Formats: sequence, C-alpha cells, structure tokens
Amino acid sequence: MAVITISREPGVGGEEIAARLAGKLGFLLVDKAHLTRLWREINLEDEELSSVDERVPTDEQALGGEVEAYARLLPDLLAQLAEEHDLVIIGRASQALFRDRPGTLHVRIIGTRDFRVRQLQDKEGLSPRRARRQIRELEQQRSRYIRYLYRLNWADITLYDLIIRMDRLSIDQALKLIMAAAAEMRLQTVPRRRIVENLLPELTEPRGDGQFVNEAEREFAHFLEFYRIPYEYEPRTFILETDQEGKTVEAFTPDFYLPEQDLYIELTTMKQSLVTRKNRKVRKLRRLYPEVNIRIFYQKDFQTLLAKYGLLANQSGKGIDAPEAS
Amino acid sequence: MLSRDKWGTSLKSLDQDITEILISRERIEQRVAEMGRQVASTYGDSLPLLVGVLKGCALFMADLVRYIDIPLEMDFIAIQSYGGFQHSTSGAVGITKDLDNPIEGRDVLVVEGIVDTGMTISYLLRNLEARQPHTIRLCAFLDKPARRILKVPISFRGFEIPDRFVVGYGLDFNQRYRNLPYIGVLSKEVTGLSYA
Repeated sequence: MAVITISREPGVGGEEIAARLAGKLGFLLVDKAHLTRLWREINLEDEELSSVDERVPTDEQALGGEVEAYARLLPDLLAQLAEEHDLVIIGRASQALFRDRPGTLHVRIIGTRDFRVRQLQDKEGLSPRRARRQIRELEQQRSRYIRYLYRLNWADITLYDLIIRMDRLSIDQALKLIMAAAAEMRLQTVPRRRIVENLLPELTEPRGDGQFVNEAEREFAHFLEFYRIPYEYEPRTFILETDQEGKTVEAFTPDFYLPEQDLYIELTTMKQSLVTRKNRKVRKLRRLYPEVNIRIFYQKDFQTLLAKYGLLANQSGKGIDAPEAS
Repeated sequence: MLSRDKWGTSLKSLDQDITEILISRERIEQRVAEMGRQVASTYGDSLPLLVGVLKGCALFMADLVRYIDIPLEMDFIAIQSYGGFQHSTSGAVGITKDLDNPIEGRDVLVVEGIVDTGMTISYLLRNLEARQPHTIRLCAFLDKPARRILKVPISFRGFEIPDRFVVGYGLDFNQRYRNLPYIGVLSKEVTGLSYA
C-alpha cells in the first residue's frame, strides 16, 4: 500500500507525470479534478475550494474563520483517501502531510527556470514574460501554502526522497525513475494502517455536563422543541468496526433521533474539519445498517435555516421579533 | 436589473437584490392554471375548503382559486414562526390566526407557498387533522426537497426547486419581497449567507 507525492515546480509538466504514474501503477490520482468532486460530495462550493487549494489568501485579514477551516479540511480529505486507496497526489503540500511516513515516496520535479519558461511557451502558448510571471506567482502561492499549513519550506530538499530535474529527461524516463524508486523502497508491502496511523487523531467532542456540545446543537434542539417535534439526544451508538477481539474500534453516535419520523440527524455545523470524517462514517453506517434512516445537516443547511428566520449574525436584525411562517 | 411590469411600475428597488429569476411570471401563470384544473378534477362537487397558510400563500392562493372552476370555500390560518433560541418568548409554535369555522367532516386542501424543512406544515397538518376533517391534502406552490427534515405528503406541487434562497410571489425575507411577481434568488449580500 502506498502514497506517492509529486511536488512540482511550475512548468515542469508535473501534472502529466503524476497522471501517467497513477495510470501505470493503478493508483488513485488525487488532482484538482478529484478534489473538486470530493468537495462537491460534501456539499461545499467550488469557490471555497479554489480559495484554499494550494494557496492561502495573501490578505491576513481574510485568513481566519471559514477560510482557515477550509484550508485545514484539505489535508483531512487527503488523509481519508489514503485510508482507503493507494494514491498519487499532485502537490497540495502532501509531502509535508505524509512526511517520513512508511509506505510513502516523496518526489520533487524541478527544472531550470529557462527550461520551464520554454515549456510553458510551447505547451500553453504563453509569452516569455507571461510564463515568467505565472511561474513566479505559482511559486509564491505554493510556498506560502506549505508554510501556512505545516511551517515548512517548500524548497527544503530534505522533504523529498527523489528529486528529478527535467531539463535533460523525457517524461518516460522520469516515470521509470520514480517507479524504480517505488519498487526499491518496497512501498506496496507496507500495510495501509501504518501509513495513516495517527495522521488523523480522532477528535473527541468536548461534552458539558449532559448538555449539548455546541450552540448549533442547542439551537437545533430548541428549533425542534418549538415545532413540538419529539426528539432524543444521542440515544444510540452504532458500532462501525470491531477488531479481532471484538473490541469496538470505530463507532458513531448521531446527534438527534426523531422517533415519530424514525430519523437520525447528524449536525456537522461549524466544524468543517469534522465534516468529511462524519460523511465517511455516515456512508459506512448506511452500508452496515441499511434500515437506519439518517440525514446529515450541514453547515450550509443550518445557515439557511437561520437565514430563513432572520437569525444570521450579520443580518440586519429585522424580523426577529415575530416573523411569520413561510 | 431594471424591469417594469405591464402597468409600467418600476420594480428596480426590489429587483436589484435578486441575482437570478428562478421561475418567471409566465411559467408561474401557466403552472398555476394547470394546478387549478387538477384540484378541480380531484374535488368535483365535494365543496372543498381551501385553507391558505398566511402570509406565504397569499399570491398563490389568489391566483389558484381563479383556475378552480368548482364551488369552494376559503379560509386562512397563520402560525408563529421560529424566533431563535435567544428570542422566542413562548418557547413553542402557536396559531396566531385560526380558522373562522370548524372543519370537521370537510374536504380540506391546505395551500402553502413553500415547503422546505417541513416543520411548519407538519405542525399545521397535525393540528388540523386533530379537528377531524373528512380528508386533508396539501397543495404547495414550491417544494424544496433538499432541505426536508420531516416527510410531508404533497398532493399538488407547483415546482420542485433546488436549494436556493428564494423570494417573491408571496415568499418573503424579513417580510419583504413578497410582491415580486416571480420567484427570484435573493443575493447573499441580503441574506447574509455565504451563498445565494
């Protein structure tokens, strides 16, 4: 089981190398397109991904709250993918996320600046001036990104197992070198759990004395009470996985149960870092307990709910007194 | 976006908060006519009682009944809406304007502007069912199934819409925009949502 990360300087053709490598090895390619699909799956907007994919806003003001949560969600997605697949990951500071992990190979693809400018001229039809500017901008973005998330220097050569300079190599030759390294390092003999072990520490949600975990749950409970919908709070824990001795290794406790609807509701609001993990758990729960009816209530759903009743914090406050139904 | 209706009234001040017209005036008119005929053929001569849920139903109900060419009666009901954890005083939903007459034994058609979470309408249906009508059905102009929490059986549905924040044709945001003659998507600057 293996994870190969491809860090590339702009203009060296890293995307093509990664895609062909994934094809040859039969690994899952994690690139922009794949991340976009995952992002949509968890009900987030494409724009939110673009704002934090291999970049962070240059404006310090904009960095905080939601943007930061989205930025930290990406490593989470990668770690989860690695739990289930062999991966070739292009960029995304993945060499830092999986740094020194067994079963991983970190490749850096470089080229002289002149070579890279020529490549961009040929392949994308850019003028030398445009090509240079694009290279400079991408380099700045990506180096800021890895520094922001991991406090690491993108150009630090000790982050990489293999560095390939493309000036005098063809893509085929580069691929052979990477595959040889992967074979020599016997990546595929490493059990998957060793790659991802402790990469995603289980976050335990802090519990007050029998109270709700957060404002969102309290608000939701209040909302149900207002409409006189009977509910139970965390009445049942579903076992998702046990080890060989029958000990529970993974379990899931949905937040609310509505007995009249026979429906479980899981709130994921305000905790973006938990969203994908919960999604995965919910998928697993549906697979193992097909008779169980569960609905995830995302941050977006919750926001809409509040907005509908004029309760969003940044709304003008009109209508709070006694808004009418519908 | 600047537009004028057929009387030449400028709707600019409301229009400018709308990012997209989801359902045009023409499509509304056509669909409501179809719904009216459907309702008429379902009820025949049973003298249905149409119960409009204020205020969202106002425009829809007024148009709908004009296309139902059988004898019918109309009544209205209004219920309190959720005011938030910090603000609601009574703590539970209540009827702020009840029906004028009993509905026992009647064929009741509840007319609602939009069904999304299903909370309001579920409460209302339970309340009305307890009054023992002969039948009770739901007619909803808009159905937003993506946001449904409680299952609601909709007998007559105008349009199924995606998960967008819509106003107009009776539907409001903070009591405004009800008078838009179409269903529009309200801009995120107004709603405070991170999406429109």
